[in-house]
Amino acid sequence: MTELMQAKDESAALEAMHSAGMTDGLPVVIPTPDRVAGMVLASGQDADMQLGVMGPAGGVATIEKVAVAAVMAGCLTEHLPVVIAAVQAVLQDEFDLAQMQSTTHCTAPLIIVNGPGRLSCGPIASGFGALGPGHRANASIGRALRLCMINIGGAKAGESDMALLGHPGKFTYCLAEDEEHSPFAPMHQDLGYAIDETVVTVIGAEAPHSVIYSGDADDPQDAQKLLEVLAIGLANMATNNAVLTGGGAVVVLNPEHAKILADAGLDRAAILQRLFELTEYPTERLGYFAAGFASRIKDDTYRCFRSPQDILLLMAGGSGLYSMVMPSWCAGAHQNRYVSQRVELDLYCEIPGLGDA
Amino acid sequence: MRDGINTAKRGLPSVALVTEDFWPQGNFTANSLGMPQVPRVKLPHPLAGTGQEHLRAVAKTMVPFIVEQLKND
Repeated sequence: MTELMQAKDESAALEAMHSAGMTDGLPVVIPTPDRVAGMVLASGQDADMQLGVMGPAGGVATIEKVAVAAVMAGCLTEHLPVVIAAVQAVLQDEFDLAQMQSTTHCTAPLIIVNGPGRLSCGPIASGFGALGPGHRANASIGRALRLCMINIGGAKAGESDMALLGHPGKFTYCLAEDEEHSPFAPMHQDLGYAIDETVVTVIGAEAPHSVIYSGDADDPQDAQKLLEVLAIGLANMATNNAVLTGGGAVVVLNPEHAKILADAGLDRAAILQRLFELTEYPTERLGYFAAGFASRIKDDTYRCFRSPQDILLLMAGGSGLYSMVMPSWCAGAHQNRYVSQRVELDLYCEIPGLGDA
Repeated sequence: MRDGINTAKRGLPSVALVTEDFWPQGNFTANSLGMPQVPRVKLPHPLAGTGQEHLRAVAKTMVPFIVEQLKND
């Protein structure tokens, strides 16, 4: 069982948790035994069930400890299945969590949610400001994963988490795909899941970088120009993707940009193929900025990605001129792969009155 | 919306043109600036980048609504 702390009241408990380095710096909901027990009950799983070992501290992620983080983050019980799946995702070897938690790079787990759980476990926002404040499920789910990474994984800034600055997505970084309005198949379907499954896909990612493009339906090169600017944002010479190469990255198209590409007859696979091709650069160019990294490459040109499928593409956000790209760290034993995990909704139990605890 | 309100406050007839996706924001702005009833016309969204032909078609469709709003000003 998780060790209990004692405090005279909730205010004192909060200060004790801040002092112990158990928070993300913001106030948390105090994880009292009753609140945690309720969250565990809602999970439909045993409190001591182990999801895996979380580095770099090597703490064991049990359902109970994840429930503690979920309570602290302000989660509702219906958010919990997504939190558990996100924890399971980052615990997979391919995610390189321990290394990612320790790196000097600014990387945070971006949680992308697909499938019907976007609504039943939330709603998890996918439209205007989905990565910004005001969306409880997005804020709480991403924060719960971060609190697991702090309290189970042992990430402490400047001590075990050596990110030079970090980025605001290290507080929370979670959104859903806008499947209802996207001209493309839902992302999880293209990743091999059934459309009625709920899936989280997690990738260690930099903060979103804005890509401005004002479409012009009269321009026959409209889609091509959009692809070119997306490629620049995705893997320019200031990114790890262009310098270290071989990692993943994310493209979040806004509805207008998605339409430009879809109207040009491009589906997700075709877009990814074009981005894969457009992020091929002269090795000499890399050598100008990073001779050491360029020396690994024997050919005159090189590609930033190993395959088109290393890039995640989804549609989210409001309508306008801006899409977002998230380059990644590209290091670690598996070069910081993205990982998908099915969300087990069947185990979840609705607990009437739990919100009163 | 803000331009329309500022123009109206100068005593000039004005109609704010607001695309569908930004209609709630337009309402918010109108309320915030103390002119919730400022005349406005809802345009389809998106407009930017949709091509000259489409823009002309939208303009042609919307002119009567704009004129109507001006008459009520």
